[in-house]
Amino acid sequence: MFENISMAFSAIRANKMRSFLTMLGIIIGIGSVIAIVSIGDSMRGLMADLYKEVGINRAIVYVSYAVDEYRSTDYFTIDELEQIENTFPDEIPYLDFQNSDLQDAVYGRNRVKISYSGVNKGYDKVQPVNIIHGRMINEDDVKNRKKNIVLEKKTAIKLFGTDDVVGRSLRTSINKDLDDYYVVGVYEKNLSAFAAMMMGSSGDGEAYCPYTLIATPDTWHFALNCYVAEDIDQDAFRTKFVRYIAKMTGRPEELITYYTAKEEMGEWDMILSTLSVAVGAIAAISLLVGGIGIMNIMLVSVTERTREIGIRKALGARTRDVLMQFLTESAIISAFGGFIGVLLGVGLVSLGGALLHVAVVIRPSVIVMAVSFSAIVGIFFGLYPASKAAKADPIDALRYE
Amino acid sequence: MNETEDLIRIENLGKVYDTGAIKVIGLYNINLTIQKGEFVAIMGQSGSGKSTLMNILGCLDRPTLGHYYLDGVETADLSPDELSAVRNRKIGFVFQSFNLISRTSALKNVELPMTYAHVSKRQRRKRAMELLDKVGLSARYDHQPNELSGGQRQRVAIARALANEPPLILADEPTGNLDTAASVEIMELFTALHREGATVVVVTHEEDIAEFTNRILRFRDGRLQSDKRRNEQGEWIETLESLEQSIDTAKKVEKKEETAHV
Repeated sequence: MFENISMAFSAIRANKMRSFLTMLGIIIGIGSVIAIVSIGDSMRGLMADLYKEVGINRAIVYVSYAVDEYRSTDYFTIDELEQIENTFPDEIPYLDFQNSDLQDAVYGRNRVKISYSGVNKGYDKVQPVNIIHGRMINEDDVKNRKKNIVLEKKTAIKLFGTDDVVGRSLRTSINKDLDDYYVVGVYEKNLSAFAAMMMGSSGDGEAYCPYTLIATPDTWHFALNCYVAEDIDQDAFRTKFVRYIAKMTGRPEELITYYTAKEEMGEWDMILSTLSVAVGAIAAISLLVGGIGIMNIMLVSVTERTREIGIRKALGARTRDVLMQFLTESAIISAFGGFIGVLLGVGLVSLGGALLHVAVVIRPSVIVMAVSFSAIVGIFFGLYPASKAAKADPIDALRYE
Repeated sequence: MNETEDLIRIENLGKVYDTGAIKVIGLYNINLTIQKGEFVAIMGQSGSGKSTLMNILGCLDRPTLGHYYLDGVETADLSPDELSAVRNRKIGFVFQSFNLISRTSALKNVELPMTYAHVSKRQRRKRAMELLDKVGLSARYDHQPNELSGGQRQRVAIARALANEPPLILADEPTGNLDTAASVEIMELFTALHREGATVVVVTHEEDIAEFTNRILRFRDGRLQSDKRRNEQGEWIETLESLEQSIDTAKKVEKKEETAHV
């Protein structure tokens, strides 16, 4: 075996350019397989990160667009929200209307447009909020409709020139109530570049305020933004909750939309998988073409080396010895091509990842599979030329010029 | 009958080439024995059947009729792989065009028959170096064939032929591609091997090459025509007995062919 390998390497070395060109098909095939699979994996990783930021257990619940006409009972009020909170204290640890208000904020001579997100108590329990000064909106703020806000760091710097602004107040209007609002905390946003890209950024300032400042007892809200506890049976809860909301709105259960981030992620996953399969098939075809290239060049090599085969047979090489010699050669050409292909694929993906500042996922199992697969391609397509060599008649082979 | 001393025993051997449309008879009814330690030349013009005999002696080809015993083993019924094993263990080939493997060092070339005999790498290397030393080329063990002269290449080939200590050295026109000086050198090497006890069979069409040997077999038109041996005085004596018998059986072969045709 060792002899076969060393013979194969010397044969490959003897025809460097030809061997390289033969490998090229496999290099491109394996390179693209690795690149595609790794891009798919990296995208999936990014999606998972992104949805962790959004919240995998988040459900948006509303009366479906399929209704002929919306009725006032299709909307939710603060009373109803509190009723839901009291009915499902364990299943729904967090609930709000996901409403916001975009208003000018003024401090001294500075004026900044700020998007106020109305949050309930405990928002920082379900979403990562990186408080760097002060505190987050709490139960007291929500219950007593306190004019307290938590400013985003960059917005704070734009408005106040510094980020440590706890205790200061700015003048703004939330829900048409122009007044002084107090900064009780400052948070820093640290979304990944990719998440920021996917979520979009308006360039406006951002802040959290109690949702009760935006939603008042006489306002109606279209959707419920629920964070569902992770340790319960999600499907059972969904059925139970949809029935409850159907009753509350007086609509049939089919008309209640219960949309989760998990479902959205599943859709993405499916798109990525389909894409991977499609491009994988193309890569497989390129591997096939590469394999045929190997077969072609091995046939040429066998013909060129007919005399050598004759000599080996005269000196006592059996059919199996010659077969193994040529099979080893084609397997090594192909596996070596696969190895270079892996380097190429990994290199390209890493380069792309570095340029886009994205963490790249490369599974070792994919690399092992790619190299083994290319060796199998080499053995499969080397079989015919090798058996042709092995079956050569020693007298004819020795006479070959 | 001293069968143990017969290295080669050929009985009523015939070879017919079937080319499809016509059958060509390569050898007619050959009977021949070569004993261990003989130094034999096989001579004849092209088409005389000497190459056919050489291929059969070398187990590269099988006879159509008759028997060929090499070192007591009947070779007619062996499979191609079994013939490979016989060639590997019992025959050392030396060819006209050297037939060294190109881009491979002299040492590796000499090792090759031992590789197929599954000799360990260490032993292989040691024996190959000894053999290269024997043919006077140990200093050039790492040279590739294209870096050696014709005579040197043939000496490497002889070292390779000796690798598995085969009972028979079979040389096919070993000096055909060499100048006179190198030819003499090679033939002297064969003579030395013969003195050490090796059985050497040389196929040649050159009289002065045959002069190195002790027995000359002449072939003509597929028949053994003469079998001369050197006596103690160094004179060549004809020893072929049954020329008529040989022709007789040849007719039988032809007849058999005809019936096979019908």
